[in-house]
Amino acid sequence: MSEKFDVAIVGAGPSGLTAGYFLAKNGLDVVILEKGSVLGSKNIYGGRIYSHVLNRYFPEFKKEAPIERWVRKEQLYFMTKDSAVKLEFFADDGFLEESFTAHLTKFVQWLGKKAEDTGALIANGVRVDSLIIDNGNVKGVIAGEDKLEADYVIIAEGANTVLLDNLNLKPITRPEEVALGVKEVFRLDSEKINERFGVSDDEGVAALLVGYPSFGAIGGGFLYTMKNEITLGVVVRLDEPAREGIKMYDIVENFRMHPVIRRILKDSYMIEYSAHFVVERGKLPGKYLVGNGYLVVGAAAGFELNTGLVVRGVDFAIESGKIAADTILKAHEEGDNSKIALSKYLDALKESFVFRELEAFKKAPKFLSNKRIYNDYPELLNSFFRELLTVDGNPRRIYSTLRKVMKKRKLSLFRVMMDGLGAVRSI
Amino acid sequence: MSSIEEKLSIEERLSLVIFNVDEEPHIKVDTTKCEKCEIKPCLYVCPANLYTLDENGKLQFNYEGCLECGSCRVACPNKAIDWNHPRGGFGVQFRFG
Repeated sequence: MSEKFDVAIVGAGPSGLTAGYFLAKNGLDVVILEKGSVLGSKNIYGGRIYSHVLNRYFPEFKKEAPIERWVRKEQLYFMTKDSAVKLEFFADDGFLEESFTAHLTKFVQWLGKKAEDTGALIANGVRVDSLIIDNGNVKGVIAGEDKLEADYVIIAEGANTVLLDNLNLKPITRPEEVALGVKEVFRLDSEKINERFGVSDDEGVAALLVGYPSFGAIGGGFLYTMKNEITLGVVVRLDEPAREGIKMYDIVENFRMHPVIRRILKDSYMIEYSAHFVVERGKLPGKYLVGNGYLVVGAAAGFELNTGLVVRGVDFAIESGKIAADTILKAHEEGDNSKIALSKYLDALKESFVFRELEAFKKAPKFLSNKRIYNDYPELLNSFFRELLTVDGNPRRIYSTLRKVMKKRKLSLFRVMMDGLGAVRSI
Repeated sequence: MSSIEEKLSIEERLSLVIFNVDEEPHIKVDTTKCEKCEIKPCLYVCPANLYTLDENGKLQFNYEGCLECGSCRVACPNKAIDWNHPRGGFGVQFRFG
């Protein structure tokens, strides 16, 4: 490869492919370099995509994309070792088309096909090792012995920012800024999934599970229903396992063996085991997103959001890829690839939901680092219901029962109110 | 295929994953730095249990079976782990993602 491209994109995930799609569609020569030999084979997430950005940019996706099920039921579990309190939201209306479950590998393959159809070149099996940097200007990428020149480089390498870290292009990733997600995929007949969750063929379930799944560490469990699969996993902030003395591969297993999960997974079998980073930075990404000749998009830019109730990444990736493409198209017209020209990317991001929502929830990681959320409150809720529902001739009224179980957990009313206030202020 | 009625060892779980192992290791560990490391987060974070201690308490590691999450790289407090993605086309190949 000695040809020069208008744009070289590092990484064929949702953000890189979206950028490539819009750039090629508007006539630029685009190459997308992907380290995996099969498109999508290094992409991992929990299981759900919010469709608002797809409605806007790929309205045909409802017919084309590999959608597994439309999320119809949202569940929140508070779990102890052997019990669970479950909160469920169900609505029989347009809410049906808010989000859907999908296998990310297949979704990326669909998006890749669209990018190729517009003329973008996807080179699979190419690991980008470095960038061509001349006097502080990025002029292309280096992959092994090959140098590939490009007027613009888009870094879409994902949450594990090896390239950016090695080149000192961003502040070093600290363990408390990322979480590790470990996921297991189970095959289970769609009829059984429908029966167990009370849904019909194209209706799905998304669940977040708090407490026992992360073994009391900062994090939680997730569960999504696909057509014939269930994805189940645990996400834990990366500084927690060593501090708490828990091994990630063990807690995933303990979660799977929980009596509630065992009943859901009965007769299923595991077909894949995987792991990936999740960004939980909690502050707006700094100026590292733009430089002379390059832009950073998607999870590499820190565009992921966990509010404790809603977990998102793909919609942020697609939006940032689209904005990066718009910025480069404009800069290319003016023949300018300087940092100043590309800084319009940041301006446009600030106007978009990407920065608006990250800004609105910037205090969420701090709130979610309150360990009582993962220890005391799941225990409290479970013992409250256990106590309240016990019938033995002694009257159990709501308030006195609550005070009793709070006292048992050594939680004062003041403490609980302050934590509640913290939630209201941050999420 | 593995039934979920029983516990599944990490080896059984990894046997479900497709790997195209590169002869050239993509992880290199300077284990002399590990000797003075008290917490050794790598032992806890690695989802494939590739970091273990031998009977003398010396750190052992294996790059085969790596799920390429990058956790050890970021969690290591002593920068003892030189981590890169496997060369293009090598490494883990997920089918579902």
